[in-house]
Amino acid sequence: MNDLSPSTLLVLVPLLPLVGAILTVALGRVLGQRAHLPTIAGIAAAFVVAVVLLMGMAREVGVGTTSPDHAAKPVEMVTTLWEWAAVGDAAATGDAGSAARSFSIPVALRLDPLTATLLVIITGVGLLVAIYSIGYMHNDPGYPRFFALVSAFVFSMSMLVMASNFLLVYVFWEAVGACSYLLIGFWFTKPEAAKAAKKAFLVNRIGDFGLAVATFLLWMTYGTLNFHDTTLADGTLVPGILGATRLADASAYVGGAVGTAICLLFLLAACGKSAQLPLHVWLPDAMEGPTPASSLIHAATMVTAGIYLVARTAPLFEACPGALTLVSIVGATTALVAALIGTVQNDLKRVLAYSTISQLGYMFASLGTGTLLGFTAAIFHLVTHAFFKALLFMGAGSVMHSMGGVIDMRRFGGLRRIMPITATTFLIGSLALAGVAPFAGFFSKDEILASLHSRGWPDAHGEHHEAAPTGGHAATAATFHLAFYVASVTPDAAQLAGGTRGSALDGLNTPATWRLLFWMSLVTAALTACYTFRAVFMTFTGPTRVPEEAGHHAHESPPSMTIPLVILAALSAVSGWWLFSTHSLASFLASTPSFTAPSVASTATPPAFHWDLAIQGTLAAAIGIVVAALGHLGRRSDGPQMERFLGPLETLFANRFFFDQIYSALIVKPLELIATLAALVDRHVIDGLVDAIARVPAGLGAVVRHLQSGLVQRYALAGVIGTLLIVLALVARAMG
Amino acid sequence: MNGFSPSSHLLLTIAAPLVGAVIAWLIGSRGVSAVRQSAAVTTLVTLALAAWLIVRYLADPATASGLPYGLVEFPWLTEGIFDVRFSLGLDGLSLWMFGLAALLSVTAVFVSWDAIKDRPVGFYVLLLVLEAAMLGVFAARDVILFYVFFEFTLVPLFFLIGIWGHDERRRAAVKFFIYTLTGSVLTFLGLLTIVLWHAAHANVVTFDIESLVDGTKIHPLPMTAAGGWLQMVVFLALLAGFAVKVPIVPLHTWLPLAHVEAPTGGSVDLAGVLLKLGIYGFLRFSMPMLPEATAVAAPWLFGLGVAGIVYGALVALVQTDLKRLIAYSSVSHMGYIVMGLFALTPVATEGANLQLVNHGLSSAGLFALVGMIYERFHTRNIASLGGIASKAPWLAVFFMLFTFSSIGLPGLNGFVGEFMILLGSFQRAWSGVSPAWQFAYLVMALLAVAGVVLGAWYMLWAVERAIFGGSREPPRTSGHGHDAGHGGHGGHGAAGTDHDRCDLRWYELCAVLPLAVFVFWIGLTPATFLAPAAPAVRKATAAPAAAFAARMQAETTATVARITTP
Repeated sequence: MNDLSPSTLLVLVPLLPLVGAILTVALGRVLGQRAHLPTIAGIAAAFVVAVVLLMGMAREVGVGTTSPDHAAKPVEMVTTLWEWAAVGDAAATGDAGSAARSFSIPVALRLDPLTATLLVIITGVGLLVAIYSIGYMHNDPGYPRFFALVSAFVFSMSMLVMASNFLLVYVFWEAVGACSYLLIGFWFTKPEAAKAAKKAFLVNRIGDFGLAVATFLLWMTYGTLNFHDTTLADGTLVPGILGATRLADASAYVGGAVGTAICLLFLLAACGKSAQLPLHVWLPDAMEGPTPASSLIHAATMVTAGIYLVARTAPLFEACPGALTLVSIVGATTALVAALIGTVQNDLKRVLAYSTISQLGYMFASLGTGTLLGFTAAIFHLVTHAFFKALLFMGAGSVMHSMGGVIDMRRFGGLRRIMPITATTFLIGSLALAGVAPFAGFFSKDEILASLHSRGWPDAHGEHHEAAPTGGHAATAATFHLAFYVASVTPDAAQLAGGTRGSALDGLNTPATWRLLFWMSLVTAALTACYTFRAVFMTFTGPTRVPEEAGHHAHESPPSMTIPLVILAALSAVSGWWLFSTHSLASFLASTPSFTAPSVASTATPPAFHWDLAIQGTLAAAIGIVVAALGHLGRRSDGPQMERFLGPLETLFANRFFFDQIYSALIVKPLELIATLAALVDRHVIDGLVDAIARVPAGLGAVVRHLQSGLVQRYALAGVIGTLLIVLALVARAMG
Repeated sequence: MNGFSPSSHLLLTIAAPLVGAVIAWLIGSRGVSAVRQSAAVTTLVTLALAAWLIVRYLADPATASGLPYGLVEFPWLTEGIFDVRFSLGLDGLSLWMFGLAALLSVTAVFVSWDAIKDRPVGFYVLLLVLEAAMLGVFAARDVILFYVFFEFTLVPLFFLIGIWGHDERRRAAVKFFIYTLTGSVLTFLGLLTIVLWHAAHANVVTFDIESLVDGTKIHPLPMTAAGGWLQMVVFLALLAGFAVKVPIVPLHTWLPLAHVEAPTGGSVDLAGVLLKLGIYGFLRFSMPMLPEATAVAAPWLFGLGVAGIVYGALVALVQTDLKRLIAYSSVSHMGYIVMGLFALTPVATEGANLQLVNHGLSSAGLFALVGMIYERFHTRNIASLGGIASKAPWLAVFFMLFTFSSIGLPGLNGFVGEFMILLGSFQRAWSGVSPAWQFAYLVMALLAVAGVVLGAWYMLWAVERAIFGGSREPPRTSGHGHDAGHGGHGGHGAAGTDHDRCDLRWYELCAVLPLAVFVFWIGLTPATFLAPAAPAVRKATAAPAAAFAARMQAETTATVARITTP
C-alpha cells in the first residue's frame, strides 16, 4: 500500500469524520434513525488510523527501547495541504516603516507524540460517545443533526491538535466552540438551552480575544505563525515558533513584558476554553446540552484544548516564569473553588461539570510548574480524566435516560438495584476520580502532586536543575529587527522587546507560593473524593426511590449505552497503572518538539513513585470518602444533608461564589446601559442633528416629492444632461 | 469563441441587464409571473456572463501585473487639449465587486419573487437598471462615467425604497437621497478639481482615472499652507460622499432607516454592493491621487472606523427590530473595513478589500433571510419571533450560516478579512507609528478586537430569541394557516405538509444558496480571492502608505531630537 504514507494517514484522521458529517447531513432524512452509521463509520475509521499513527510514532520515538535518562529527540511530521492565504512582505510597498514580514498561512498538519496521543483520545472517546448516543438519542427528532454535529466536532478537534500554525489553531479553536455552541443549544426550543449556548460562545469569545491578540503579538515578535520551520522559494529558512531551529537555541524565546503578555493572553484563551477562573461560568450551564455531548466535549476533549495550548507553547512559557507561576495559581485556585462548589450541587450533571472544572484546574496547576514532569503529568491526567470523566458523564446520562430525564439527585435512591451496570461502572469512575489506588486517577494525580511538590521543596527532591528557568533574550534575526525598530521608535519600549528584564509577575515564583499551591491541591483532592462519593451515595445507595417521570418500569439502559460504559470503566481501572508502570506515556511525550526545548528538557527527572505523596493523596481521598459516607451513605437523599453544617458558606457555595451575579452587575448590565444610551444618542442627537440640517433647504423635500412621478426615464435623462452641462461648463471655465 | 473579445464581453455584461429591463417592460402586460421570470433570466444570464468574464480575466497572465482587462474605449472629445473618453475595464480592485454585483442581483430578484405584487414591472425594471449601474460603476475607468453610474445607482434605489418600501418609506427615501446626493455632489466637485489641477499642469483635459493617478504623482496637489492645503480640501470633499456611502459614523443614520424601510431586494443591493462604493472610492481615487492628505487623515479615519465598530455594535445590541439590528451590524462591520483600509499595511488593506466582498455576502444573505422571515410571520420584532428553527429548519440553517459568517467564525469568509484587518492594524499599532500615536493606536486596535466579542453578542442574542426558543411541539396548523395560505400564491409544487410550506421555497433557496457557496469557498481558500486583487490594492495604497511612513518617521525623529537636546 504505497499511497498510505504517514502523511496520507495524517490527512485521513480529520477527513474521515468530516466525510461522516457531510454524509450525515446529506442523507439525514433518508437514513432517519440510522443516521448514526456514517458518523460511527467515519470516527471508527479515524480511530483506527489514529492508533496506527500512534504506534508508528511510538516506534519512531523508541518507547521502551531507549533508557529514560537518554535525552529525548524531537520527533515531528508536517504535511502542508494548501496555502490558505498569503500577503507578500511590506518592503514591496515602500513602506519602510513596518518591519519586513510576510503573512503566509499554509494549511499544515502535524504529527508528534503529543498530537498522536490526543488524536487517539479524541477519536476513541468520540467513537464510544457516538455508540452510546445510538441508545441515548433514540427517537429524538434531531437524531441526524446530533450525529452530524458530533462528527463535525471530532473533525474540528482533531484539526485543532494537528494544526501546525497558530492561525489554524485559532481557526479550530473557534470551530470547536461553534460545535459546542450548536450542541449545547441542541434542544433549541428550551430557552435555557438557547441561553446557555449563547453564554458559552460569548465567554469563549473573551478567551478567543486573548488568543487573537497573542497571535498578533507572535507574528510581530517572531515574524511567522508556523510551528515548524519552513523554507522560502529562494531557499532561506524561516524558523518556526516551535520549529527545530528555534527549539535548539536556548535563548530564542522572548521573555520580559512582551513574552509575558503573550503567555498571559494564551492563559486567557485557555481559561475560556478550559473553563478556568474567572471564565468558568459557561461550563455548568453547558449541561443543558445532550449528555453524550457533555461527555465528549465538556469533559473529555474540547475543554482540554487549553491544556493542549499551554503544553504546546511550553518553551514560550518557560521564558516567562512569572506567567508560568500564574498558570499554576489560576489552576490550583480553580480546582479548589470548583471543588467547593461541587460539594453542594444537587444536579448530578452539575456536580460532574464542577468536577471537570476542578480537574482541569489540576492540570493547569501541573503545567505551571514548568518542569517536564509537570507537563507530562498534565497530559497523563488529561488522558485518564478523559476516560473516567467521560465514563461518569455517560453514567449520569444512563441514569437520566432511565429516570425520564430527571437529574436531581435528591429524587434518586438505591438505583444500584435497578441499574447494576451503570452503578458499578459509575463507582469505578468515581474511584478513579477520587484518586483511589490502583485506579487511573490515583497515578496521574500523584504525578501532579509530585510536580508541585518538587517546586515547593526543591531540596527534598535532590535535584539541582535550575529551579526557575530564566527569561530568554531576543536574539534571532527577526526579533532583533523588531527590538531594534521598536527601540528606534519608542525609547521606552526598548525593554518591551528586549526581554532582559523580568516581568513583575516573576515575584510570585517563590517556594512559598508553590507550597501553598501544593496544599491547596491536597485539600482539593479530599474535596474531590467527598463530592464524588456524595453523588454516588445519594444516587445509588439508600432506599430505592425512582422519580415518577421514569414511569413504572425503570430499567437498565440498552447495550449500546452500557458497552461504552464497561469499556471506559476498564480503561479507568487499568490505564493509570499501565501507563505509569511502563513509563511509556511520559517517555513518549518527552519527544514532543515543544518538550525538547532546553528549558523544558533540562528539568527532566528520572521516573519515580513518590510514596510520601501517594500516602498523603490517599489519606486525603479517604477523608473525603468518609465524610461523604457519614453524610449520605444509606440515607434518603432528600433528607437533611451535611451541608447544613457549612452555615453561611453553604449560601456562598450554592450560589457558585456569586460569579454570575457579579458579572451581570459589573459587565453585562453596564454594557447594556451604555448600549441603550448609545441608541438614544443615535436616534435623538445624531439623527436629530441631521434632520435639522436637512430642514434648512425647506423646499428640497417638496421638490423631491414632485419628482416622484414614477417616470424613471425622465429623471435619468435629466440626470445625464444635467451632469454633462455641469462638466462642460466647468471645462469651459477651466479653458478660460 | 475567439472573436468574442474581452472588451465586447464586458460591454455585453453591463448592457445585458438594460436589455433585460426593456424586455421586462415590453412583456409587462403579461403579468407578474412573466416579468419576474424575465428578470430572473436576465440576472442569471448576466451572472453567467460576469462569471465567464472573471474566469477569462484570471486566465489572462497580463492581469497579474495589474493591467486592466477588457478595455473599452470610445473617444468622445479628443480635439486640442481635450482627451475625454468613454472608458471601461476591469482590474484587481473592481473584479470581485463586479462579480458580487452580478451575484447579488440574482438574489435581489429571487427574494422579491413573491414579495412584490404591486406594480411589478416598474420594480423589476428598476432592479435591472440598478444592476447595470452597479456593474458599470465598478468597470468605469473614467471620472465622468464613474459619476454617471454612481448617480444611477442612487436613482433606482430611491424609487425602490420610496415606492415599494414599508410604512415610513417616503421619509427613508428622502433621507437616503439627500444624504447621498449632498455627499456625491461634493465628491464630484472634488474630482473635478483634480481634473482641473491636472489640466492646468499637464495641459490636457482628461477624465481618465489612470492618467489622473499618474499625473498627480508628477504634480501632486499642494499640501502646504501656500497652496491652500488644496490636497486636504479635495480629500475632504471626496470624503463627504464616500463617508456617507460607507457609512462612517456619525454619517450613518440614513442607513438603518433606509434598510428597514426598503423592500428586501433593495436592502440586498444596498448592503451588499452600494455601501462598498465608498470604500471603492477611497481605493480608486483618494488614496492614489491624494496620498499625503490620506496619510494625514489616516489616524482619524482609523479611529472613526474603530468608533463605528464599537458604536454600531452597541446600538445593535439594544435593537428590537431584526432588520434594524442587522443594519447596525453593517455599520459595525463597515467600521472594520474603514479601519483596515486606513491602517495602511498590506495585510490590513488586502484584508479590507476582501472584506468588502465578505460583508456583501453575509449582510445580503441576512437581509434576504429577514425578508423571508417577514413574509412568513409578518413581523420583524425579535420579541414576537421565536422558534423559527422548528418551523422552518432550512431557513434557520442559512440564518445560522450567515450569522456565523458575519461574526467571523473561522472556516467561513468573514473570518479571513476580519483577522487580516485586525492583524494588519495591530502591526501598524505595534511598529508602524510614532511614539506620540502608539498608545492611541494600540488602544484602538485592542478595542477593535474586543468588538469581535460584542459582534457575537448581538448576533447570537438575536439568534437565541428569533431562531431558537419557542415550543418543542411540531408546527401547529392553526398557528400559521394564514402563512400557508399566503405562500400558496407562488407555491408551484409546494404541495406537502405545512412544515414544508413554511420552510424555504425553491426561489428562496436560489436566492441564498449561491451566497452560501461563496461563504465557504472564500473561507476555505481565501488565497484564490486575495491574489488577483493584491497587485491593484498594493498599487492603490503604496503612495499613502509611504507618505504615512515618512510622516511617522519625521515625527519620531522630531521626538528623538526633542528628548536628546535638553
